[in-house]
Amino acid sequence: MTMTETHTPENTHEDKEVLMELAGLGRSFGGVKAVDDVSMKLRAGIVTTLVGPNGAGKTTLFNLITGQLARDTGHITWLGRRIDRIRPHEAARLGMVRSFQDLRLFEKMTVEENIMTTFERSSLPRITTPAKRAERRAFIDRILERCALTDKRDTRASDLAYAERKFLSLARIIAAQGRLWLLDEPASGLDPQSYNRLLGIIREEVQTGVTVCIIEHNLDIVVGISDRIAFLDRGKLLADDTPQVVLNDPKLASIYFGER
Amino acid sequence: MENYLANLGVLICVYSILAITLNFIMGYAGIFSLAHAVFFGFGAYTGGFIALNYTSSIFVTLPAAMIVAAVLSLLLAIPTLRVRGEYFVAASLGLQILAVTLFSEWKWFTGGIGGLVGIPPVSIFGTEIFRPTSFVIVTLVALVVTIAIFHLLVHSNFGRSLRAIRDSESAAAAFGKNVPVIKTVSLAISAALAGMVGALYASYLAFINVESFMLDTSVLIMAMVIIGGTGTQLGPIVGAIVLLSLPSAITYLNFLPQSEIGAIQQIIYGAGMALLMLFRPGGIVGSGGK
Repeated sequence: MTMTETHTPENTHEDKEVLMELAGLGRSFGGVKAVDDVSMKLRAGIVTTLVGPNGAGKTTLFNLITGQLARDTGHITWLGRRIDRIRPHEAARLGMVRSFQDLRLFEKMTVEENIMTTFERSSLPRITTPAKRAERRAFIDRILERCALTDKRDTRASDLAYAERKFLSLARIIAAQGRLWLLDEPASGLDPQSYNRLLGIIREEVQTGVTVCIIEHNLDIVVGISDRIAFLDRGKLLADDTPQVVLNDPKLASIYFGER
Repeated sequence: MENYLANLGVLICVYSILAITLNFIMGYAGIFSLAHAVFFGFGAYTGGFIALNYTSSIFVTLPAAMIVAAVLSLLLAIPTLRVRGEYFVAASLGLQILAVTLFSEWKWFTGGIGGLVGIPPVSIFGTEIFRPTSFVIVTLVALVVTIAIFHLLVHSNFGRSLRAIRDSESAAAAFGKNVPVIKTVSLAISAALAGMVGALYASYLAFINVESFMLDTSVLIMAMVIIGGTGTQLGPIVGAIVLLSLPSAITYLNFLPQSEIGAIQQIIYGAGMALLMLFRPGGIVGSGGK
């Protein structure tokens, strides 16, 4: 299927279940409001792109959601339940998985070990039966194949090429089997073939019910993947609507392209 | 000569175990501790105290030493694992200094400066083992068990979590790893086995005092890990063998003035370590490092 089927202008996605709701989220750094009173809903199976100029607070918003940073104001609701003072590993266990702009791969571990680490829920040593092991192997094989990393299985992360590193970052996210993906510039620096593969993977996952929130600068990608676009500037959420509405707003365009 | 070699074998096994346990937290969890001799020491005093006052059965002294060392490691872990690398080094150095004072002053438990004297030999099912040639078997078994435990740990999901934390703490947490708990558990496991070998050491020597558990011991163990190869499985053992055999090897070099042997040893150590770090930062066994 193509994404355009869901892209009718009047579609406000209100029929979809709310996975996460941000209410009045705020965080300051030394008097500067990096995120300022942001309220929005992330609905199940919807791709929202966070756009905005550099320093708009996009990554900070991710850090607030996943507990890497403590928030000054507001609260977050996950599946109708308020989650206060959540720590990063607890956020992950609820099903929020994120990527990092600087990737933060497990550099001295192999590609396969990187994937296995995020696949494993528990750190308690346990005996795995051969059947379980075969199942896990097949699961990892499939991820490697989708990310074009099959022949890099035993390569150390630090020895990978740039695009391979980006896909290993994505492979870790797939393996974590979360419900919400927070992707921080997953497509930056990718060649067209790689980025088509990236979009393909995201679309496949959305089909299975994953909710995605992407920080992205490339407007081609924004248009190609988004169900909704959320526009941030100087910490404030200026718009959260369908691509047609946001992209046709002359005021937002002038902010985005720096004509203040 | 036989006893001499057996004695060297015992020491190599003891220090190999210490180096393996330190390597586990240094190489796989990224925790640089300068307090490893403290856990070794507490294990030794606990084992010695129990052997002197209650029983010398290995099935009592070793578990007791392990528990005491593990609990003690929690005291270090809880306040300090929330801070990053270099602060932990400082905190562990503080613990090391504190422990030396405790070892020399807490007379009831450690015998003070004089130490514990006349610790009975290890007893396994009522058989006392004290000759170096038999004791070397005991320490060899302990070494093999230690290697097996850490091999399994490193290659389990626990080990993967640990290595992930070492490579990127924030990413490990973002994928559901409870970083403080995993680090604390790994420190406790490491301390417990260092404590165990401490109890063996105490009953082998029959006499221990604070001098075996001072900062230079912690530094020596760390040097074994680094020289052998941090984060490798064979490295700590190679490091222990090299650093313990060197002094004896040097004494056999007849052309060296015997009265200056101590100073020459220090020069060889220092130069060797500096050259190794320059040309092979990953250690002897390591992959050369990056």
